[in-house]
Parts: sequence; C-alpha cells; structure tokens
Amino acid sequence: MAKIVILGAGISGHVAASHLRRKLDKTHEVVVVSPNRNYQWIPSNIWVGIGRMKSKEILFPLAPLYKKKGIGFKQAKVTSFYPEGDINEAKPYVLAEYVVGEEKGRQEKITYDYLINATGPKLNFEATEGLNPGTNKAYSVCTYTHADHANEGLQSLIEEMKQGKEARIVIGTGHAKATCQGAAFEYILNVEQELRRQKVRDKAKITWISNEYELGDFGMDGMLLSYGSNIMKSHEMVEMVFEDRGIDWILGAGVNKIEDGLAHYETLSGEQNSIEYDFAMLIPSFSGHGFKAFDKNNQDITEKLFKGFMIVDADYSPKPYEEWTVQDWPETYQNPNYKNIFAPGIAFAPPHSISKPRKSPNGTEIFPAPPRTGMPSGITAKLVADNIIDSIKNKNESLHHKGSMGNMGAACIASAGFGMTKGSGVSITTFPIVPDYKKYPDTQGRKLGKTFGEIGLAGHWLKLMLHYAFIYKAKMKPFWYLIPE
Amino acid sequence: MTKRISNFKRFVMMNPIIQFFKFIILSIKVLLIVAGGHGGTREVTK
Ligand SMILES: Cc1cc2nc3c(=O)[nH]c(=O)nc-3n(C[C@H](O)[C@H](O)[C@H](O)COP(=O)(O)OP(=O)(O)OC[C@H]3O[C@@H](n4cnc5c(N)ncnc54)[C@H](O)[C@@H]3O)c2cc1C
Repeated sequence: MAKIVILGAGISGHVAASHLRRKLDKTHEVVVVSPNRNYQWIPSNIWVGIGRMKSKEILFPLAPLYKKKGIGFKQAKVTSFYPEGDINEAKPYVLAEYVVGEEKGRQEKITYDYLINATGPKLNFEATEGLNPGTNKAYSVCTYTHADHANEGLQSLIEEMKQGKEARIVIGTGHAKATCQGAAFEYILNVEQELRRQKVRDKAKITWISNEYELGDFGMDGMLLSYGSNIMKSHEMVEMVFEDRGIDWILGAGVNKIEDGLAHYETLSGEQNSIEYDFAMLIPSFSGHGFKAFDKNNQDITEKLFKGFMIVDADYSPKPYEEWTVQDWPETYQNPNYKNIFAPGIAFAPPHSISKPRKSPNGTEIFPAPPRTGMPSGITAKLVADNIIDSIKNKNESLHHKGSMGNMGAACIASAGFGMTKGSGVSITTFPIVPDYKKYPDTQGRKLGKTFGEIGLAGHWLKLMLHYAFIYKAKMKPFWYLIPE
Repeated sequence: MTKRISNFKRFVMMNPIIQFFKFIILSIKVLLIVAGGHGGTREVTK
C-alpha cells in the first residue's frame, strides 16, 4: 500500500492532500509535513493589511481537519531529501525537524512512495539589505502575521495624518527580480481607498515602485486584453486606474537597500536613486528554501533535485527571449531524475521568466520573476495528485494529467478597495498564462476573448465570494471538490 | 489626480444593480476560463 508524503500545506499542498485523501482508500497513507499549524487563504491578506478583515477570518488550524479526514500531519519543516534512502534505510525519505511542542527540534526520517514538494517560496527578505517586515517602516503582506503588522503600521500613520502629517507611501517590489506584482497592485489600491475612507487621502502622496518595465506587466510580459468593446494593453488599463486614483509610479526599479524610511534603488538606465517614505509595503524576492539532497552513500546530489526551486519536466536549456516557447514549461511537474517526486505550485523551478529579461548598464538584471498564482498552484497540485492516484491504481506510472502554464487560463481578481457598496475590483483573466506567440501571434500570445479586463464593484463581490468559497473548499466541507481550483 | 474615468463610466462601475448583472456575467466568464480545461503543449505542436 502506498504512502504519499506532501511537503507544505499552502494552496498546492493542501489541494493535493485533500484530493488524494478523497480518491484513495484508507489503506493508502497520506501525510502532510508543514511547519505552519494553520491553513491561510493568502489572497485575503490584502484586506488584513488594511484592517478590513481580521487574520482569524482567513485561517483555520490544520490538525483537527486532518485528523477528521484521516490525513497524517506532522508540524515539522523538511531540511533534506534522500530520494534513494541511505545505508540504513532502504526507502526514500525526507529528513524533517519538528517545530513545536515537546518534539521541537527532534528530527525524523519520513519515508515515502511518492513525494509532493509543495513548499512554495522562501520569502527572501535577506536578498535586500534592510528589508525585514516591520522594521525601517517597511512592511509585507505575504503572511497573515506580516499583514497584521502592516495594518498596525498603516493605522498609526493614518492617526498621525489625522493630526495633520503629510505622508509618503511607497508600495511595490522590494527586489530587482521580485514577483507577485499583482499582490502589491491590490494593496496599493486598497491603501488608497482606505485613506479616502478615513478622510486623509489629501495628506498622502502614493507611489508605485516596481521592477516592471511597463505598468501592468505583472511578471507576465503584460497583456493585450478586451476591455468592454475596446482592446487595450494592460499597461494602459493600469495607467488609467493609477492616474484616476492619483498614484504615481517608478518603473524599472531594482530596490537594493532599505534604511529607516528610505528605499534605495537602481533603475534600468543605471542610475542609483532613493525615495523617502513614511510607510512602505515591498514584496521581497522569492527563492527556493536551500534544501540539500543526498544519495544512498550520502553524496551530495542537490543539483539533481534543485535549481533554486525543484527541477521538473521543464526545458531548462538557456536560450534567448526570442526563442522561448510554451513547450519550455512543465506539464506534469515530475522530477526527471526521481520519478516519484513532484513539485506543483511555486515549488517548481520555472524554465525562465515570462517577462522579457532586462539589464541595467551596470549589469543588474531588473525584471519580474514569473508569478505562479493561486489558480495554477491549485490546478498543478490536483493534476499531480491525479497522476499519483492513477499510478497507484494502475500499478504503473501514469502521467495522463497534464497542465502547462502555456495551456492554462488564470483569473486574477485584484481587489481595488473593500466594501459591499464602495468596494471595487480589477478583474483580469488571461489565457494562456504563459503567452503562446506562435498560436496567437497577433494578440501578444494570448486569446483575446479569454483575456479580458473589467473594473468595478462586481470584482469586489467576486473576490469576496472566492474568499468564502475557497475557505469552504479548504475546510473540506460537503461537496468541496465541486468547487474548481 | 487626473480624471481618467468619466462620470458615466464611474456610475456604471459602482451602480449595485448594473454591477449585480456584471457579477453574474463575470462569474460565468471566470468559471468558463477556470473550468475550461488545461493540458500539455508538447504533443500538439510536435
Ligand atoms: C499577498 C498575496 C496576495 C495574493 N493574492 C493572490 C490572488 O488574489 N489570487 C491568486 O491566484 N494568487 C494570489 N497570490 C499568490 C498565491 O498566494 C500563491 O500562488 C500560492 O499561495 C502558492 O501556493 P503554494 O502552495 O505553491 O505555496 P505557499 O502557499 O507559499 O505554501 C507553501 C507551504 O509550504 C510550507 N513550507 C515552507 N517551508 C517548508 C519546509 N521546509 N518543509 C515543509 N513545509 C514547508 C509553508 O509553511 C506553506 O504551508 C497572492 C500572494 C500573496 C503573497
């Protein structure tokens, strides 16, 4: 009988665990290893970061749910991989260290038949000097604790503004190669609306700072989209929204150092500039977790498993932007060297970025890393689970379920302000996520009808509905599996 | 602040009745994209 070990209980780890448990009988073991005791619906951190939602509304503890559903749970963090076992252990295993309670610090070899690495990104704050959430007046909204912190910082600034203080707010990316521009975009619009709601908007100058070459790049090389009866570029749409909201912008900026209320950055033209602020929210760069891997003789084989993130069935051969194709992107998320290891969600190493790479004259690469949002994270996790289920049931490797980001759509419902009547959302869908310039040569690599933008109150309602739907689904309540990833 | 969205557009964007219908349409469109399937890319073009 098979044992499937899932590392991480974020969107992809949790999706994989829940589908595996539902579709496999109880003779098979499903075990989740994650250092977090709670599941969090990360997209709603935006609202926690402006105080319109409490962090407890976006999370729930995993242990009781997993116990009820028959999923094993170890609150531990994985440190190294032994895909061939070792001289004492014939089965492949991961080495994990417990992070809480009496077992804290204890290490355990967790053996597996199939391994799903869904550990997402390491939030690599250290890559930017002085960027540490909650210090130097710079914050993050990447986790609920960070978002709580950001809200405290924002509310105390708003109090000062009510006393007459003029403030500068800077929101965007905190590293030359950061990703997740979408989250920062949502946050800047929500902060702007919150300042209006609290009647201090006139006291603030709000600036978007980003490593994007153009507004609306979002790490996806921008997009051509249908907007009502018009066809528009994403940079025109975002420009319209920012101008309308009185937000100015600095583009092609690689933030490289943070001091108290001061962000230093290099621009694509090679200048070294800085910007003062009273409150900043800067997304850090994402990196792999620095895991090590060893063969059965304890020789280091990390490069067989990792290239920063985990190596999967992508084409990693270096080639210029002009030669990139959708075929470079993985389809099954299987490690080519150890076929019982998979890495869905953010945990897999992308073949390259999606946005065009750009360098400053000083040689600094300044462009967004490729985003892997919630939807593709869920979809790739489900297809990995389905392939494992088929392989177990057929007693033979089965990789029929495929999902390349070059043949998958995504919906990004970006909140632009909270409130049942005053809220707003910028809804953008794209198909495919990675542009296919061969298939759609005249529409910037994407299918127009399926790549559209929409602005308005309906977007806020939809985002709120998704919040409740996905938390319902994550809690595995009745018929949860009918809600698509 | 530069007014880039006309009063009429803003009315459409924020009117709850119009937006209710937009919400239904948007939900269906998003669902079609999400549930519209996904697949590989390699065999198709090889
Ligand atoms: C503020 C914000 C807003 C966002 N908004 C949206 C949105 O509106 N729509 C959207 O589609 N996407 C959004 N995203 C992106 C989305 O959250 C990610 O795509 C998604 O969380 C990725 O899922 P994942 O499971 O791959 O990684 P994660 O969610 O990061 O999960 C990784 C898991 O691995 C665990 N882990 C880490 N290290 C170890 C270890 N050593 N051993 C074991 N486990 C480990 C972690 O504790 C965690 O449980 C947003 C992201 C942010 C930061």
